[in-house]
Amino acid sequence: MADKQYTAVERIKLASDGLRGSLAASLTDELTGAIREDDQSLIKFHGMYQQDDRDRREERSEKKLEWLYSFMIRLRLPGGFMTGEQWLGMHHIAGEHATEVIKITTRQTIQLHGILKSHIKPTLRSFDTLKLDSIAACGDVNRNVTCSSHPMESAVHQQVFEYADKISLMALPKTRSYYENWLDKEPLLNKEEEIDPLYQDRYLPRKFKISIAIPPNNDVDVFSNDVALIAIVENNELKGFNIAAGGGLGTTHGSTVTYPRLATVLGFCDTEEKVLKAVYEIITIQRDHGDRTDRKQARLKYTIDRMGVENFKKELELRCGFQLEAPRPFEFTERIDHFGWNIGANGKWHYTAFVETGRVTDDKRASFKTAFYEIASTGKANFRFTANQNVIVSDVDEAEKSLIHEILARYGVIGVTEQSREMRKNAIACVAFNTCPLALAEAQRYLPTLITKLEPILEKHRVIDDAISIRMTGCPNGCGRPTLSEIGLIGTGYGKYNMHLGGDRNGLRLNRKYKENLEEPEILAVLDQLIGHYSVEREQGESFGDYVIRKNIV
Amino acid sequence: MIPETKLHILQQLINTSSKEEIIWIHGYLNGLVSGQGTNGTSEIKKAVKKISILYGTETGNSKKLALQFTAAAKQHSLMAKCTAVEQYRNEDLTKEENLFIIISTQGEGEPPETAKKFYDYIHQSQTQLPNLKYSILALGDSSYPLFCKTGEDVDAQLQRLGATRILPVQNCDVDYEQPAETWFNRVFGLYATEQSQQAVVPQQTTKNGEAKKHVKKNIEGVITRSVNLNDKDSTRRTWHIEIRADEDLDYDAGDSIAIIPSNRHEVVERIIELGKADPNEYVQLSKSAGTIRDLLTNKLNICYLLGSAVKKYATVSGHEIPDIRMDLVDLLRIYPLKDETPFSEVLGLLHPIAPRLYSVSSSAKAEPREVHITVGLNGFLKQDEQHYGLCSSFLGDLPVGTPITFYVHRNRSFKLPDATRDIIMVGPGTGIAPFRAFLQERDVEAASGRNWLFFGERNFTSDFFYQTEIQQYHETGVLQRVNVAFSRDTEKKIYVQHKMKEHGKALFEWLENGAVFYVAGSKVPMSHEVEETLLGIISEHGRKSEDAAKEYLDHLKKEGRYQKDVY
Repeated sequence: MADKQYTAVERIKLASDGLRGSLAASLTDELTGAIREDDQSLIKFHGMYQQDDRDRREERSEKKLEWLYSFMIRLRLPGGFMTGEQWLGMHHIAGEHATEVIKITTRQTIQLHGILKSHIKPTLRSFDTLKLDSIAACGDVNRNVTCSSHPMESAVHQQVFEYADKISLMALPKTRSYYENWLDKEPLLNKEEEIDPLYQDRYLPRKFKISIAIPPNNDVDVFSNDVALIAIVENNELKGFNIAAGGGLGTTHGSTVTYPRLATVLGFCDTEEKVLKAVYEIITIQRDHGDRTDRKQARLKYTIDRMGVENFKKELELRCGFQLEAPRPFEFTERIDHFGWNIGANGKWHYTAFVETGRVTDDKRASFKTAFYEIASTGKANFRFTANQNVIVSDVDEAEKSLIHEILARYGVIGVTEQSREMRKNAIACVAFNTCPLALAEAQRYLPTLITKLEPILEKHRVIDDAISIRMTGCPNGCGRPTLSEIGLIGTGYGKYNMHLGGDRNGLRLNRKYKENLEEPEILAVLDQLIGHYSVEREQGESFGDYVIRKNIV
Repeated sequence: MIPETKLHILQQLINTSSKEEIIWIHGYLNGLVSGQGTNGTSEIKKAVKKISILYGTETGNSKKLALQFTAAAKQHSLMAKCTAVEQYRNEDLTKEENLFIIISTQGEGEPPETAKKFYDYIHQSQTQLPNLKYSILALGDSSYPLFCKTGEDVDAQLQRLGATRILPVQNCDVDYEQPAETWFNRVFGLYATEQSQQAVVPQQTTKNGEAKKHVKKNIEGVITRSVNLNDKDSTRRTWHIEIRADEDLDYDAGDSIAIIPSNRHEVVERIIELGKADPNEYVQLSKSAGTIRDLLTNKLNICYLLGSAVKKYATVSGHEIPDIRMDLVDLLRIYPLKDETPFSEVLGLLHPIAPRLYSVSSSAKAEPREVHITVGLNGFLKQDEQHYGLCSSFLGDLPVGTPITFYVHRNRSFKLPDATRDIIMVGPGTGIAPFRAFLQERDVEAASGRNWLFFGERNFTSDFFYQTEIQQYHETGVLQRVNVAFSRDTEKKIYVQHKMKEHGKALFEWLENGAVFYVAGSKVPMSHEVEETLLGIISEHGRKSEDAAKEYLDHLKKEGRYQKDVY
């Protein structure tokens, strides 16, 4: 590797003066709604991507207008929690500066799209007044820490949930550039205050994801993360965490050296101090050993496979100064959001609403956005976001439950949640067209339609109440975790998808590529046939994913 | 033949040169020798060579390279025109002689979305391109198996159409900078050779010395492009219209063209019907003659008749008509003619169609047979005096392929200075038109004077006329400075004059340095406010009293350094 050159992004990071780059000049450039190329890499660390409306490129070029550039801003929201007051603020920001749609992501946070360059600062300033930020929500750093979302999962939920915040703060870049560039705070007099022992001046070789799951629910798809923490709870007491590392789902079409990988369980830590130390040192190993010459080989999963799991663990223990204990037994038996009303261990009520593809908006069928706005206005509820892109109206007192229920019912939220069928409710799609620059095919704009066409097939084969997991992404990068589903559709070109089959239902087994470049009629025909056979030949309780494996279909 | 020392130097030079360099040296020497043979001078004159650069991009990399290549080509004295492939008129391929294509490949070997039309066109086209010399820089990502396929496909098609590949396709992986630069240099190497050979070809005598005669000569052209420059959610409607003639056009940047609009077919037919006229009857009027249909279509104004014409119509028709202005078709409908009244009497009271003037927004030096105009709906409104009925949006409605008659209208008081002088252009709205012509001309002529543009409109995302062209001029160094103001994007309205004030210090320095100051667009209030601001700048940064600033400006006017094209 020594003879290979660092990637361009590495050079940009190093030369960026704490992620400042030439952002100030980019923002004042009147000629373009875009920012300078190098800065496009840097703003990711500040939680945003430059995008453009890909539907409109040709038309605008014809008009001699540049592409319609705008920015997506993603919040740092550890564990996916927001107060009602924050939701209200967010609602207004989405209307004033973005496309109005509030998008719940697959990492339990919120992103807003379509923010013009001149609106970035006002948006981030408004977030700041709500005590929200977008620091490190994207980029080659630790991103939003996810955590099993539903307070009913465990008596220790709050305790586990607080780890998400602690880890997020521990792995936050120290540079003050976010405050200087976007919030117009005075530059530091003493630059030593932003010396960053974790990220130094080069950050990580690639994005880094951390997640915490509370068995038996693997709602966060914990093994898809670079670091996976599995809470070990005995007798309603948090004993510590199993620590796993090296998960990651992104691949590149046609490249055999890229692959999806599940995190490998390394061991167990009991105290908070040890857990945080172990997570910290996994990050430093990746910082020091990750491949900075090839971004397609830069994730921790490749670092671990190059080093070997045992060597990696040895290096980790050396850096930690303590040994990991043997992993404790755990079992994941589900990967779901508990829709509807549920009561938590603390006696508060929570309503999990089904938000298709995570887009909170008002449409003909229901007015989710208005409903959540009214609920937030009552001051009687908080909001939690799930890794399946749903919203939990949370922490409602018994006395207020009927008030909240009435609002949810009035705007159709309950109707949609109760009437949607199982496949739809468990489906995930990434953003893809028209804004994601990586998209090769549609995803969130198309999956709902495809499911509408699949439902009669499921009905015909009497498996409509079966929560077969289907996930679609517009490219192989894996934002919608398509390789951890029973039916994964990964875009290869416009209207074309590779079909992956054979994942289990709980996120413990990767699926495999079954067929390439299928278009809709073929997708429907293939699934009609396979699901037909499945409905007849399945064993008691056997999922579709398990069935195709047992029958050696993939 | 030559002393050993010289031979040694020559051999050393050859040993340390690349193949391309040797070819260049060969050409250079060849040029030297033949130059001596014809006119006895060894001076190598530079013949500017035209090249076209096309790029097809998905992520912006191809565009970036194309702009770099364009800028570098200019430094190599090549006249380089860079176009995004989606903006390229595919039919123009037959006219190209030196074409360089920079194009990327997507996913499984597909062309970028923006290049699909071009890609399909060259696959289907049967038009041979025997005069075309080309080379391709193909971008891709080698983690895909067909990583530079689009470049190779384009190459194969151009081969099929008989074009000459002058350099092999250069494939580039994600680290494209190095191979791209190599390719650039190879291209420039080739032209260095050609130029030195061509330089000695005796120049043809040109008409440069002849005084231009300016006769109002009607020219027949065809609309080859008509684009609404505003994006779909704009409050404005502004057209960019390209007209092509079959002859080289004689106009200068800063001139206007006059277009005689024709009346709408369906309105003319309705008039003929209401007037019970024979459309083929030949009528001789005092100033024109023709069949009734021809007169109504091409010669006479039928829209929003003047009060005097309406009065005459009242007499002819015997109706009592209030003192208003109306369309002829409405007069005929509401106040019908008596059966016995011959229609020619109506024709006699009509005025001829007034030609409409539009500032030219192109340079004949860039495209000798083309003339472009930039037309706002406001422009139509004005000419029809707030009346926009059936006739008003005449130009914007005409489809590509429509024949159009025009003549050149000179504007001697709005002209570019010599190529070394700096210019400052203030052209908000359609005021941008003459400055687009200026910039084209200065680009083509590789003028050394600096250029500074102020542009303003309502909204940045929808009303930035010629944005991509302006960006390109900026990136390739034609425009040194650009400042824009979009009044509806901010709570407090910002106009061009605010931008002038903001950059007042530099603006005054430019003036002191001899720059010419131009303003084009609406007279009121824009040009007045610009002038006021200009006086303020002169006074502030020149430390002058109000009177002295006025004197300074008067002096600029006298020197022809303050020119206006306002309406």
